[in-house]
Amino acid sequence: MVFAFLANPDRFMAFSRWAAPMFGVLAAGLIGVGLWLGFAAPEDYQQGDTVRMMFIHVPAAWLSMFVYICLGVASFLSLIFRHALADAAAKAAAPLGAAFTALALVTGSLWGKPMWGTWWVWDARLTSVLVLFLFYLGYIALRAAMDDETKGGRAAAILALVGVINLPIVKFSVDWWNSLHQGASVFRADGPAMTADYLIPLLLMGLGYMAAFGSLWLVRIRAEIWRRRAVILALKLADA
Amino acid sequence: MLDFDMGKYVWFVWPAYAISVAAFAWMIADSLLRARRWKREATRLEAARKPQP
Repeated sequence: MVFAFLANPDRFMAFSRWAAPMFGVLAAGLIGVGLWLGFAAPEDYQQGDTVRMMFIHVPAAWLSMFVYICLGVASFLSLIFRHALADAAAKAAAPLGAAFTALALVTGSLWGKPMWGTWWVWDARLTSVLVLFLFYLGYIALRAAMDDETKGGRAAAILALVGVINLPIVKFSVDWWNSLHQGASVFRADGPAMTADYLIPLLLMGLGYMAAFGSLWLVRIRAEIWRRRAVILALKLADA
Repeated sequence: MLDFDMGKYVWFVWPAYAISVAAFAWMIADSLLRARRWKREATRLEAARKPQP
């Protein structure tokens, strides 16, 4: 229903014109309050002040996977229905997903050194997130490598769908293999494994990152629609 | 009371926050500049296509 409504570029432009700034303001508010509560939280009895890295590392890791789900769905819709807006949405999501994944890797490394004694280990969670990052880069590179935009979009969409296989590996890697990385501590069958002091700012930051992605994604899709309009207009002018 | 004293972990916590701020700054700037550039270009070409009086 929502997809059908927004599939029309004019309706999408009208919707995103107010939705993008609204999500942006929402993100700023949520992240602001989340940071405030995060720096007001007590030091962790084991991790000390490094626990404050959780408020930026974990939301980045959540977004790295969420954005890939968006990329996968958009790529699927683009391949099956050959819809230009779905293709634009996939193209617009990839750089943001790559940025969130890079953030998860770098902040995780900075957290790992004082807690694990190493910047990096080739364990299942870290390696599968690195593979996720490479899928994002591969998607961007494949699109950029082909002169024919339509062919490039379809080839990249197939690559994106292949990469969806990696998502459950990222999620369950800490359960399937021995890992230095801790297991899930928020979304668990028996409830979150942390107190409200940490859980509330973490959830606010997660929602803030999500709203920020929503806002930036809409802005980038709008940019892509304008770019395609400009390309079509330039061709028409050249023909005239 | 806000706690900005990261003690012995200062060289891990603040760089992580600084990199996050830089990444967000890039995402915001790149998205907005891209949108502005292509909107301007599409508007310019649309105007050029309209018949001159």
